[in-house]
Amino acid sequence: MNEPFPLRILPILAPAAFILACLTVLLPLPAGSINLSYLYTFRTSFLGILLEALPFVLLGSLLSSLVHLYVSEQLLKKWIPKNPAAGILTACILGLLFPVCECGMIPLIRRLIQKGMPVYIATVFILSGPIINPVVFGATYMAFRMYPEMVYARMGLAFFVAASIGVMIYITWKSDPLKTAPVSKAHSHSHHAYHEHDHHDHDDPHDHHHNHACHHHDHHPHSNHHEKKWTSIFVHTADEFFDMGKYLLLGCMLTAGIQSFVAKESLESIGSGPVSAYVFMMGFAFLLSLCSTSDAFVAQTFLHSFSSGSLLAFLVFGPMLDFKNTLMLLSVFKTKFVIYLAFLICTVVFTGAVAADAFFLSQ
Amino acid sequence: MMKEGPVFRSHELIRALILLGFALYIARLSATGYLQYYVAPEMYPWLRLSVIPLVALSLNLAYRALFGTKNGMDCHCERPVAGSKLKHSAIYALFILPLLLGSLLPDKALGVTAASKKGMILGSPVLTREQLDGKFKAPDKYNVEFAELAKLLYVQEPIEVKPEIYSEIVGAIQLFKEEFKGKKIRLSGFVYRDEGMSPDHEFVLGRFLVQCCTADAYPFGVPIRLQTNHPAIRNDAWLEVEGNLITEIREGREVIAVAAERVTEIPRPDTPYIYLNSKEVEQWIQKARESSGGIGPGSAEKL
Repeated sequence: MNEPFPLRILPILAPAAFILACLTVLLPLPAGSINLSYLYTFRTSFLGILLEALPFVLLGSLLSSLVHLYVSEQLLKKWIPKNPAAGILTACILGLLFPVCECGMIPLIRRLIQKGMPVYIATVFILSGPIINPVVFGATYMAFRMYPEMVYARMGLAFFVAASIGVMIYITWKSDPLKTAPVSKAHSHSHHAYHEHDHHDHDDPHDHHHNHACHHHDHHPHSNHHEKKWTSIFVHTADEFFDMGKYLLLGCMLTAGIQSFVAKESLESIGSGPVSAYVFMMGFAFLLSLCSTSDAFVAQTFLHSFSSGSLLAFLVFGPMLDFKNTLMLLSVFKTKFVIYLAFLICTVVFTGAVAADAFFLSQ
Repeated sequence: MMKEGPVFRSHELIRALILLGFALYIARLSATGYLQYYVAPEMYPWLRLSVIPLVALSLNLAYRALFGTKNGMDCHCERPVAGSKLKHSAIYALFILPLLLGSLLPDKALGVTAASKKGMILGSPVLTREQLDGKFKAPDKYNVEFAELAKLLYVQEPIEVKPEIYSEIVGAIQLFKEEFKGKKIRLSGFVYRDEGMSPDHEFVLGRFLVQCCTADAYPFGVPIRLQTNHPAIRNDAWLEVEGNLITEIREGREVIAVAAERVTEIPRPDTPYIYLNSKEVEQWIQKARESSGGIGPGSAEKL
């Protein structure tokens, strides 16, 4: 597998990229100019979404590598409250300190879990961070300036959903959710001495993710090389960037595809009933994969045709679970955990939004 | 350990080139001004700033690929060499695709195709249902702002719909549409037609409102009625239209429209999208108030 053939990859890589690009450009051509305009629409949407997310993924990768190198497991243990209730509440308002959107959040979270942050606290942070932060509050307030109840309902419901899912995860999920060999104690004991050997034994039979993630908790000791720390920051940031980047790119591509090839009316016709409005708005939020700072505006344009409760579901559901971040979650967490989390988010957001609609929004 | 050296390095080199490619692409977009086709101005500083870490990472990777030693720092943790070559090729192709798309094809702003998929909104998207129904919840700051705007617009002849506050101006006119009926207006946008529209007599003069990036771009526009036997106007053309404000019933509600008197084709403006900008509105009101001396018609008193 690790044969000394550096040049073997390049000859395959370059033509593959070239052919892919050619296909993208040439395939729609024979069918005429209409399809070409679809290509341009796709291109503009795709690059727009990518460019918007790129700085945040970079920031997230940088933060993650800084945490990796400068925050020790002991330090993290000291920071996290022992009491689970206090831990969940703290995680809920952590977004006030780290106003990163979900793209930047996931690499950071993986690192924190590897450092020993309990899963339920990490989950609460993933869910609440993209909504309960000052930037999103401001953006939502701008969009719903005529309807400020929606802003408070959004913040409140996000808090409720994150906290209650945190509690459920605390009670029900005991195993390691990361897509790696378990971060067992045995492992962390042995890795000092047998670091190198361990590695080579692992390398061959496993796939890329497994392997890759393995490395992360394998090498804490190298934070000893203080003089090399700045180089490590580069190494880890680049690594994290490429690891997350491929999921981000895939997500951007699919989102742009949906936006440029599927008409909104055809989606809207699905969501005309009182319950299907919720289903539609949540599905729509999932497919669009908007950034939490800008989705409020899009939601606002639906005020004419949809109930406030379903809009609230859109605003809370979207940042917690969407196409782009599900792919990113799958890169970090076990599929089983992601499905469980998605199920919890769907049900709790739906229930919460219906309740908020009945008791708070429609008065 | 030594035997893996070369594989390790070629990965680093490819990654260095990809990162450099992204940095150069962003720098070029920023320099040519095409960045505005993709993201809102609020994002510019973030993107420009991200060029620095991209270049730094790229240089670091390139240095290690070319001169890197196999001892010392390399903790193996960053080495992605496991996995098939096909998989790696696919992953790198995924990274190269946006660069190729970005550099080989010309930059184009969103147009009719995107508008038809996203669903054109007639009138201003900044108004809410409450405002449209005329049932104001409370005389809050923004209602007052719209009324103020309407008052200042009313004295203009013709009313110039400035791109900086396009959606707010259309919104203000829409709120006080009865008062504005028959007023002259001048506005620009791209030509959009729905399936149900008769191609010779009507079209929608549209714009995209962008909040953050193209993902949330929202098409909105004002229906235009052509009175004379006008030569055919193609979709996606950019026009400046001058005419009289009227109202029409569309999709069950009354919307503002323009009966065109003069239609001129214009080049695509430098900033094709519209952004939400409350600061611009305040500035504009300030300026207009100073120049008009604060004389307004009775329209705002209806509040």
